[in-house]
Amino acid sequence: MGRRKKIVQECERLMDAPENIRNIAIAAHVDHGKTTLTDNLLAGAGMIADESAGQQLAMDTEEDEQERGITIDAANVSMTHEYEDRNHLINLIDTPGHVDFGGDVTRAMRAVDGALVVVDAVEGAMPQTETVLRQALREGVKPALFINKVDRLISELQEGPEEMQQRLMGVIADVNELIRGMTEEMDELDEDWTVSVEGGTVGFGSALYKWGVSMPSMQRTGMDFGEIIDLEQADKRRELHERTPLSDVVLDMVCEHFPNPVDAQPRRIPRIWRGDAESELADTMRMVNEEGELVLMVTDIGIDPHAGEIAAGRVFSGTIEKGQDLYVSGTAGTNRVQSVGIYMGGEREEVDRVPAGNIAAVTGLKDAIAGSTVSSVEMTPFESIEHISEPVITKSVEAKSMDDLPKLIETLQQVAKEDPTIQIEINEDTGEHLISGQGELHLEVITQRIERNQGIPVNTGEPIVVYREAPQSESREVEGRSPNNHNRFYITVEPLDDDIVDTIKLGDASMDMPELERREELMKQGMDKDTAQNVEHMFNTNVFIDDTKGIQHLNETMELVIEGLEEALEDGPLAAEPVEGALIRLHDARLHEDAIHRGPAQVIPAVRRAVHNALMDAEIKLLEPIQEVRIDVPSEHMGPASGEIQGRRGRVDDMYQEGDLMVVEGIAPVDEMIGFSSDIRSATEGRASWNTENAGFRVMADNLQPEIIEEIRERKGMKLELPGQVDYF
Amino acid sequence: MLTFVGLGLYDERSITVEGRTAIADADRVFAEFYTSKLAGATVADLEAYHGVDIELRDRPDVEGDPEPILGAAESGDVVFLTAGDTMISTTHVDLRLRAADRGIETRIVHGTTAEAAAASLTGLQNYRFGKATTLPFPYAHGGDDVPASVVETIADNRDRGLHTLVYLDIKVGIGPSGPDPDHEEYMTADHAAGRLAEPLDAVGVVVARAGGPDPLVAADRLSALADRTFGEPLHLLVVPGDLHVIERDALAELAGAPGDALPDPV
Ligand SMILES: Nc1nc2c(ncn2[C@@H]2O[C@H](COP(=O)(O)OP(=O)(O)O)[C@@H](O)[C@H]2O)c(=O)[nH]1
Ligand SMILES: [Mg+2]
Repeated sequence: MGRRKKIVQECERLMDAPENIRNIAIAAHVDHGKTTLTDNLLAGAGMIADESAGQQLAMDTEEDEQERGITIDAANVSMTHEYEDRNHLINLIDTPGHVDFGGDVTRAMRAVDGALVVVDAVEGAMPQTETVLRQALREGVKPALFINKVDRLISELQEGPEEMQQRLMGVIADVNELIRGMTEEMDELDEDWTVSVEGGTVGFGSALYKWGVSMPSMQRTGMDFGEIIDLEQADKRRELHERTPLSDVVLDMVCEHFPNPVDAQPRRIPRIWRGDAESELADTMRMVNEEGELVLMVTDIGIDPHAGEIAAGRVFSGTIEKGQDLYVSGTAGTNRVQSVGIYMGGEREEVDRVPAGNIAAVTGLKDAIAGSTVSSVEMTPFESIEHISEPVITKSVEAKSMDDLPKLIETLQQVAKEDPTIQIEINEDTGEHLISGQGELHLEVITQRIERNQGIPVNTGEPIVVYREAPQSESREVEGRSPNNHNRFYITVEPLDDDIVDTIKLGDASMDMPELERREELMKQGMDKDTAQNVEHMFNTNVFIDDTKGIQHLNETMELVIEGLEEALEDGPLAAEPVEGALIRLHDARLHEDAIHRGPAQVIPAVRRAVHNALMDAEIKLLEPIQEVRIDVPSEHMGPASGEIQGRRGRVDDMYQEGDLMVVEGIAPVDEMIGFSSDIRSATEGRASWNTENAGFRVMADNLQPEIIEEIRERKGMKLELPGQVDYF
Repeated sequence: MLTFVGLGLYDERSITVEGRTAIADADRVFAEFYTSKLAGATVADLEAYHGVDIELRDRPDVEGDPEPILGAAESGDVVFLTAGDTMISTTHVDLRLRAADRGIETRIVHGTTAEAAAASLTGLQNYRFGKATTLPFPYAHGGDDVPASVVETIADNRDRGLHTLVYLDIKVGIGPSGPDPDHEEYMTADHAAGRLAEPLDAVGVVVARAGGPDPLVAADRLSALADRTFGEPLHLLVVPGDLHVIERDALAELAGAPGDALPDPV
């Protein structure tokens, strides 16, 4: 029997013993060594040849990733590891480090119970370290720390044992400060999640040279830091690797400190699932019951040239098998499972069944997208995947050749399915489609993938920033009349509190959850009781309140009212950009007796008009996306570097020394940041490294509003004048 | 002067003599056929019969931008035509109010309407009709079932022993996926009976092509009507309440109701 086959068999055996399973993610700031570390683990587990680890980058399966040297799609691998005489099955999900791909990270976190946070010893905790840590903790995932590139401290920076210790302790303290801050409000935790050397939740080493140490490993091998420094300085890395191999140290830490599904699910299910906690389904999920109904949360959709679409995800309860007919959240009917498998490196191995507690690869789920809940009974889906990453930038994509028109549409739809942080808008009439994502790089990678993987040459437009519109004050009561004048709606608009907007963005209050829970959550965030009781609909971050009482026929007209409302909010009155943070109240309505005279052609325009007029009266303003910018640069280039922020309607908030570099931190509008990468390079002779993070939307300065609004309206072919006349009541 | 003229039920000859005179005297003639139409005549037939040009207006014109009609009526004699009567069912009272608001004199010339035909062709007495209702196409009211208000209207009427006239939806110029100039769809009585048979186990009376040369009247259980066909549009449906003895005889004799389908008279 081949070696690989043996491993697969062993995995199949282990799948049934959830106590021996660990589902983990490795998360890190870009370039801190996640991919290199992953390859080491695979090699250590015998999944790829030892020699090639560190060069092969087995997880960077997409061609563009290998070229750019960054990891884009979260891929999945399973491996086995013996710890304390027991074999363990470790399911590992790789996550991208670049902020442009934040959606993938969140999804990966939902499927795992432990996150190994990798931090570069030289750079220390970076902004994305904080972001991924936050994403992990928000999903109830337990952290451990691996400090990588310690070889550089020794060989490059020539640090002695004391200096080194100080530096490493500094990194640990920084990470713990983040963990402490973020776990403060996690009431369900009964243990301290900060990491420590003594507790064995911190490892050190070099992913490149494949050695690592931890307190337990030092005790076992008898090696101390002094000896390691000597060996590393003497260039005896091979010996280091052989005596204290990185994979053993890390995998031991994983087995010892990360919870298995049986321990994790009772605590995590209430955090990540909003359904009825008293139900049997909740119980089978908490208990990781493989006999229960099947519940799979899809984290990732991949494409296999032979098998087609593959949905990967965590089985929370039941057992997934070929031939099952399963419900897919948000779609009607069922999909039949064609095959199930597990991942080994970049490849998928078909197996007969995958029970609760494991990561499964499934074909046949044609309606599933990343984030879907797939189940054998209809159920409350897992929380809508949190929108930490709303698209901020849009680009048009057009096939160069007529022959590719249908294929491009198909590919774009596929892209959106694989990556829900991407939004697409298909325009079959003009052939000019829109694709929106997290940043310039994100869109660049996607379009290159379309060109290269699908072989579709495309023309792309200039990137355009996505705006928002938000009311700034409370409106008067506005009347909206239907075209036939027989139906009238009386509406006001007011700004929603930021706390409530945040809660909605995080998915903590949504129409998917039981009414009572939603009401309580909204009240907790400051909404008054009457209002919270009358919530009729939520759309994006807007809330619609029905304050009417006993109006005949309103019930059966409500769907149309909501359609009109959504139209109004999707295309705001200023520039047809999405409205956010509006609380819309319906105070009263007059309806025609007969259904035909209060149909879509009457009700939708009436409501749309009323909502727009009320928004105008509520002094609606244009918001633009902003980014936090951090530039690390030698001090002689600091002036031009901060100038690059200030010159972009930006604001420098902080400048400080870190090691031999200066750090400049500030914020700037995304619109102005287009082209930043080449500008900063020339401004600093290529000496700056920089990083941006989306930081939400901000009201644009008053003096810029008219100009930008007119610009957008012109680009969209809208009338240049704003809608004017409003009827007040 | 703005004169509202009802064209009556079926073709170019269903109009009253008074209506015909009003058209002949008018400076401009407008018409809308989005709410109902003459099953037996085209606009060209009407133009030929009356020897005038007819300016067709769609819903957005009439409801959203009636200015051209009102402007013309301010300075001249304008006739506004609809099938049936201009103020019954689809009421253009809003247009009339707007005209009045601008000091334009208005006048009504009646036409025969489905309301009248429903009583006169079926033999059901007009005193005994309750509220009327319209059964919309599923896509036209935002749900895929029969709207609750339709079922309630019929049930309330029946509780009080009253008949219900059910208008059947017409979609012209707007289809399931939005505006579509070529779209023309008329709900048939068998389709309507099929959808109503589910919530209502009752008798129905189909009236097809009222006002035309070959009108049809047919009474039976709704479930039985659903399996038949009634030919060209327009159709309408009546759901009778309690039957007076004469009404029962009329349905048996004039509408071919099978004896066991009808309830005992009260
Ligand atoms: N010196 C040194 N370089 C490393 C180490 N680990 C990774 N690297 C290098 O750092 C770069 C980024 O590594 P990669 O694994 O792709 O990082 P990722 O972006 O976090 O996946 C590559 O050039 C690696 O060779 C290490 O332990 N020591
Ligand atoms: Mg990588």
